[in-house]
Amino acid sequence: MGAVAPLAIALLTMLVAVELGLVVYALVDLSRRPATAVAGGSRLLWLLLCVFVQMIGPILYLAVGRTRAAPHTSGLGAAGAHGRGDTPRNGRIALAAATLYGAGDAPEAGQGEAVELAAVRKVFAGTVALDGLSLSVPEGSVFGFLGPNGAGKTTTLRILAGLARPSAGTARVLGSDVSDGSAELRSLVGYLPDVPAFYKWMTGAEYLRFAGSLFSLSGPALQQRVHELLELSGLAGVDIRIGGYSRGMKQRLGVAQALVNAPRLLLLDEPTSALDPIGRRDILDMISALRGRTTVLFSTHILADVERVCDSVAIIDHGRVAALAGIDELRRRRGALHRLSVDVDDHEALARVLREAPWVRGVEPDESGGLLVSVDDLEAAQREIPAAVARLGLALRRLEGDELSLEDVFVSLITGADR
Amino acid sequence: MRGFGAFFTKELRETVHTWRIWVLPAFLLFSGLSSPVVTYLMPMMVDRLGGAGAGFTIQVADPTAIAAYVEYLGNLGELVMFALVIAYGGIVNSELRSGTAVLALSKPLSRGAFVIAKWLSQLLVIVCSAFVATGLCVALTAVLLGAGPATALVAATALWIVYAALLLSAMVLMSVIFSAPAAAAGAGIGVYAALAVLAQFKITSRGTPAGLMAAALALVNGEPSHWLLPLLTGLGLSAACLAAAVWWFSRREI
Repeated sequence: MGAVAPLAIALLTMLVAVELGLVVYALVDLSRRPATAVAGGSRLLWLLLCVFVQMIGPILYLAVGRTRAAPHTSGLGAAGAHGRGDTPRNGRIALAAATLYGAGDAPEAGQGEAVELAAVRKVFAGTVALDGLSLSVPEGSVFGFLGPNGAGKTTTLRILAGLARPSAGTARVLGSDVSDGSAELRSLVGYLPDVPAFYKWMTGAEYLRFAGSLFSLSGPALQQRVHELLELSGLAGVDIRIGGYSRGMKQRLGVAQALVNAPRLLLLDEPTSALDPIGRRDILDMISALRGRTTVLFSTHILADVERVCDSVAIIDHGRVAALAGIDELRRRRGALHRLSVDVDDHEALARVLREAPWVRGVEPDESGGLLVSVDDLEAAQREIPAAVARLGLALRRLEGDELSLEDVFVSLITGADR
Repeated sequence: MRGFGAFFTKELRETVHTWRIWVLPAFLLFSGLSSPVVTYLMPMMVDRLGGAGAGFTIQVADPTAIAAYVEYLGNLGELVMFALVIAYGGIVNSELRSGTAVLALSKPLSRGAFVIAKWLSQLLVIVCSAFVATGLCVALTAVLLGAGPATALVAATALWIVYAALLLSAMVLMSVIFSAPAAAAGAGIGVYAALAVLAQFKITSRGTPAGLMAAALALVNGEPSHWLLPLLTGLGLSAACLAAAVWWFSRREI
């Protein structure tokens, strides 16, 4: 025993040193870390665990107790990557999209329906998300999906992507019922969620290779596809891990991964929401370049995006289609709408009269206590509203014009559909 | 099981690239190294303690290779199992919470492949780490205390791996059922505690997986070991947990 005691003592000393080192490192890290960056939000709990639960406490803290710093934290890597990744690349997008679908395995745009929703209803714990939604999306078209928050856009796209099932009704994609959960069907669809999440330890190229391998792509074909998509998304040459990406870069990577299989149906949930103007333009250019090569169904709040790239648009509200229009009709409505702010001493009486007028598109209370009147004939409104006020014997306190924002048009369209 | 190969490869790479590689292997290697050393030094430490004027004498048996192996198995059955439960509380639900599962499962990756790839990759980590740790334990014990029944320890380690596989399967199931990793870990600790209680009764110890650790210790001690039923029921229950996890996950909306 005496002969090997020094060795044993040395080993034990080493183990104790490792344990003490872990405890000290964990405590130093804990002391420098804000409570918001600690799992569970309690530094005291981790302190006790590190000090009193020998070996396990520090290892657990270092492994799972530390959370990421706030996402807006600026770092050299992220800033540098953002600079490279967000470089504008106007002319190459259409070419890259053409290459993606020109490789021979791209689907041809047909004349059928890529998406058919018939009386789809979705209920979450008593809350109705979709209430008999019905619409069709022609194959090969670029289809905009508009609606306010909570209207059911994301739920619809999740159903189409096979991630959720309708409570009632049928949802068909490329002729197949999505409720079957068929992997074959999912191999024809590309999906970008509203906030795409990736494995932070991968690089963009690694993630695209992983995504491609799930579609059984391999070898040179996969490498070529990854190269094309990195070019398309503006992430070629960005070799940092995804954990260092800006939100815009993640959005670009999200679009790229949705295209990895050159899908026959591309579902994009607010693809431009996190992008700066240049990134937004690139995404819209890409969607335009895909017209006729695949079907694109994308949701957005931004009417200008819809006007720029869509063939048709559906506006949903409270889980139902409020309006379904071609893009030309949307443009006509936008060009024709004006809004007036009116304040009188009896809003109800004036609103009843105005709702009967043929040039009035909508009447609603405004934030200052008056009425907001949407009209499609400004001159008639300026002439008739004071006359109506006089006929009713009301006092006119205010009548002024108001510029319509894109959001106003969107609200007006929904209001118009409800009338 | 479409997409299994691609997702399994991702899981193995993720294990290497993230914290997962360090937790269980660290505990296993720590156990493999510390058990022979602590066993060897224990009489000396107790002797020093007893000579400090406390007024009483503590007698400790001479350290043996078997004692070191028993110490090692004890660590595997308690320390490592506890770490396993904590570490794998989020094995599935962490991907659901972070949103990474959405992108993967919107592709032609089956839900079954998703669950089984996670289970198998982590089982692989456990098996490799356990045999490396056992090898270190055998080697260090031979240096410090002389050769022990190494074959019996390897067999005992195999029984422990079945026990770990069962707990890993249970954690996969809990992680599918519960959305929060902490809730899944809490339920896993409940499973572990239930197995520990069942191990206290002769009938349940010999007829259920709860007896796996007792059977492993008996092998090392050279005593009759009732390992067959615990082994078979352990494998069966593990498969049942995994099947239930796949079934539940396949019905779940993402």
